[in-house]
This record gives sequence, structure tokens and C-alpha cells, in this order.
Amino acid sequence: MKPLMLHGHERAITQIKYNREGDLLFSSAKDHSPNVWYSLNGERLGTFNGHSGAVWTLDIDWQTRFFMSGAADFTLRIWDCSTGTQLGNIVTRSSVRTCAFSYSGNMAVFTTDKAMGHPCEIFVVDTRNIDSSFSDNDPIMRIPISDSKVTSILWGALDETILTGHEDGTVKIWDLQSGKELAKAREHTNSVNDMQMNKDQSMFITASKDNTARLFDANNLMALKVYKTERPVNSAAISPILDHVVLGGGQEAMDVTTTSTRIGKFDSRFFHLVFEEEFGRVKGHFGPINSVAFHPDGKSYSSGGEDGYVRVHTFDQSYYEFNFDY
Amino acid sequence: MEKRIVSKTIAQRKTWPKFGDSHNDKPGPNPATTIVAEDVYMQFITNKEDSDKPDDSGINKLKGMDQNVMKCRNCKGDHWTTKCPYKDSLVLANKAAEEKKPPIGGMEKKETGGKYVPPSLREGAKNTDSMSHQRRDDTLAIRISNLSENTQEADLEDLVKPFGPYSKLYLAKDKNTNCCKGFAYVHFKFRADAAKAIEMLDGFGYDHLILNVDWSKPSQN
Repeated sequence: MKPLMLHGHERAITQIKYNREGDLLFSSAKDHSPNVWYSLNGERLGTFNGHSGAVWTLDIDWQTRFFMSGAADFTLRIWDCSTGTQLGNIVTRSSVRTCAFSYSGNMAVFTTDKAMGHPCEIFVVDTRNIDSSFSDNDPIMRIPISDSKVTSILWGALDETILTGHEDGTVKIWDLQSGKELAKAREHTNSVNDMQMNKDQSMFITASKDNTARLFDANNLMALKVYKTERPVNSAAISPILDHVVLGGGQEAMDVTTTSTRIGKFDSRFFHLVFEEEFGRVKGHFGPINSVAFHPDGKSYSSGGEDGYVRVHTFDQSYYEFNFDY
Repeated sequence: MEKRIVSKTIAQRKTWPKFGDSHNDKPGPNPATTIVAEDVYMQFITNKEDSDKPDDSGINKLKGMDQNVMKCRNCKGDHWTTKCPYKDSLVLANKAAEEKKPPIGGMEKKETGGKYVPPSLREGAKNTDSMSHQRRDDTLAIRISNLSENTQEADLEDLVKPFGPYSKLYLAKDKNTNCCKGFAYVHFKFRADAAKAIEMLDGFGYDHLILNVDWSKPSQN
């Protein structure tokens, strides 16, 4: 396959996401402007200029009207997808580390880092009307986190619950109405880097620094599968059409020279969802892969790396014909 | 130009004007931001599936190596040499004898069969001498014959000096008596001079003999 290499960022990529219909690919990086691309040919539609710090997280609403990004400049901004103009801005007390639109698009959740005396907090805000008063509105819910900080977040079923992954490896379910912790799973031994849902939102996969990715049930946090590698997994995604998961990782740039003779392990690895066995690898990145995402139709996938490139791969026929023998 | 049928919302999004840093971009991908990378293939990691990529992945190589670790030197079986089940058999001894003979025969030919070859004639011989051979071998040399017995180098020099510069004078002399053997070679620097010398000196009366002067013929080696 001939991947498209998208070179719109000058610093490491932090997250990439497709919109619901898959025709747009959004990417955020440690440089201050998230980019949006047409996923079909890699043509760049535009950039969202306004942040003044590394953009850690992004999300797109269901109808691809609004785009949300959280950055290290202590702001969460909401933009209009079609024109790139900033619609709303919330100033927080520390860097915004994760964010997500609810399934309905009426609410958004974001978390802030634990820094400078302020604890890590989960904010839930109303996003039905986004205008200049957006920043002044009170959040619907505000949950302080006393133990390890939140590193990734997902909305649960029916927008009633929130799933959080933490820096100590725990995964928790929070009830939205009460703000209480409903369930906790302590499976990972190190930081959860990324969590992504599968297509029907019944399961989600967590990528962790402890060199594994795990599959959980979304309702009760039952641990289902473990995918083991030899290096930290930065991101994982579940294919919407086949029983495959893709893991992206690699050592942190500063560790590369101190360990292993191989020149870094910068490939995306494909595992079988059920058998937990690796069946394929795709090379190409010049640095650790920080984010992977499947196209909603499952026929292509993208990966964003520490090198600042986003690579969009469309699968060959051999990928579909590959039969895992058992 | 490709035509695709997509849902209405997707088609509508294609018409959005570009914004931000892409504001001034023309329609179609901007080569500064979008590059088609080289072909990569997914390397399938099962023994049955052949990987598409021509190069072996590191893992496949290691797997292959692992299979060859234990190889008997005698029978190439999957065991160590000392543990070879055919240790004491005659078959093995014959095999070893056969393998030893041909290589020795081949080697002997090369080493003892050849005579001594001087360094200058060995392969890769000195370069400069071959150059000077070239210089001498070409047609700048003339041969003067029917010289009288008491001709000396000085006489020869006086004879050929008026025709032009020369690089070498050689007068054949008898080793014991130092008398001239009757012929000499002169290597001129310019062919024109050599030609003139031949023209003038051939048939010239020198001492009591008539000289024969001609182009020097290359040695018959």
C-alpha cells in the first residue's frame, strides 16, 4: 500500500481522530495548531490557529459541526469545522489533558492536569449553545480527582457514564448524575495512554505504558483480552469490520539511545482481537507512534508519530484475505 | 479524475473553503503538506502466510536461524556432530575421503605446477615500466647498421645530433674488446626527426663503410 504522509505539524503528534463519517481526519500536535485533512487524498482542509500551547487532545461532534481541542495553554476551545473560526473558549486552571463530546453532542467532558496546587478535575459542560458566553457558563458537573490524574476519557453508554483511564493504570466508571465512582478496574500496572471504543460501544481497548493493551467490557469493566508487546503502547484502536486491533507505540525518544540495539521499534502492530496474537506489522514511522485510528469503514487506518507525520494507510487486498488459522 | 458517490453531508464538506494555514492553498493537495510515501507492506507474522515485502523482517530471519542451529557436520542431520548416529560407519569414512581428494588435487596444480614468475611479469605488475615500454616500443627508434669497428658513442652522437633531440643512444659493443659490433639504436623524441635521419643517413658513407639505416623492428618475443 502507498501510505499518504501528511506533514502539517512541526512537532510530535499527540492525537488523531476521524470524524464519524470518516471523510475528515483531525490531528493535533505539540505545535499549537490542530489540522484537519480530507482522509481520501490527504488534502489539507485547514488549521485551527489560536492556541498558544501544545494541543493535547481533540474531539469532533457527531455531525462534524464543532471541533474541540484542549491544550497546555490552559484553554479548551471549540471551533466551527467549516470555517475554522473559534466559537467558544474555556479558561482552566491547568493544562487540558483529555476531552470528549458526548454521543448526543449536547455535552462535553474534559479534564485538567494536576499542577500548581490545583488537583486533577473532570469538567462536564453544556455544549448546546456555543457562543461567546460559553466560557462564562458553569459546568454541569465538576469532579475533583484526588489520586492519580486522568490520562484518557470516554463517554459511556447513553451519555450516563464517563470512563476514565488514569496514570496509575486504573480504569474507572463515573456516574454523571451523582459524580460518584461506580466501578474500578486495576489491570494495568502503568499509565493508561489511550482508550478507544469499538464500533458498537460495547467494548473498549486501553493502551498502556506497561507494554500491554487490554480489552474491557464497557458496561462492567470486565477484563476480556490482553495484547502483549515489548514496548510501551501509546495508542490502540479496534477495527470496525474485522476482528483486528492495531497497537501503536515505541519507546520514548529519550530512551531509544539507552536501550536495545534495534533502531527503535516504530511500527504499528496488528493483533487478532480474539486470539491475542500478533499477525502483522507496518513500518514507516521515524519515531514512536503516539496515536492510531481506524477509518470508520475499516478499510484504512492512520497513525500519528513523534516525528510529526501522520501516515494514512489504505489496506491492500492481502489484508482482507488474511485468514488467521486456528 | 475520480468520481465517487458519497452521502450528502460528505459531499457538502468537500465544498468548504480552506482556512487557517491552508487559506491560500489551491484546490487539490498541496505538495508541501501531502506526500505519497513509499510502498510499505504489512508483514504478516505466521509461518504459512508469505510476507509481501521482499526483504525479510528481523523476526523472520531469526526464526530461520533458529532452525539451523543444530546441524551435524557429518550427515547434516538435526543433531550435534558428536552425537551423530553414524559416527562409526564406513559410509561416513568414505565420504570424508572423497571430500579430501579433489580439493588437494586442484590445489597442487596451482602451487607446484607453475614456474617462478618474476615480479614484473606477474599479474598486477608495476605500472611505470609498462609505460616506458610503450614509449620505447613505438616508432621513434631507428637502427643503424654496418658501422665500422672503431665507432664509439661520441661518433654516433655526432652523426645523429643534427636531426633533433633523442632520448636514448645505444651502441652495441663487444663486452671483452669494447669494439663496436656493427649496429646501433637511436630513440628520437620526434618521429619527424627519426624519419629525416633515416632518409639522410641511409647509404651514407661513414668511415670506409656504407651505413644501413631503417626503422627499428620490434623484438620477436
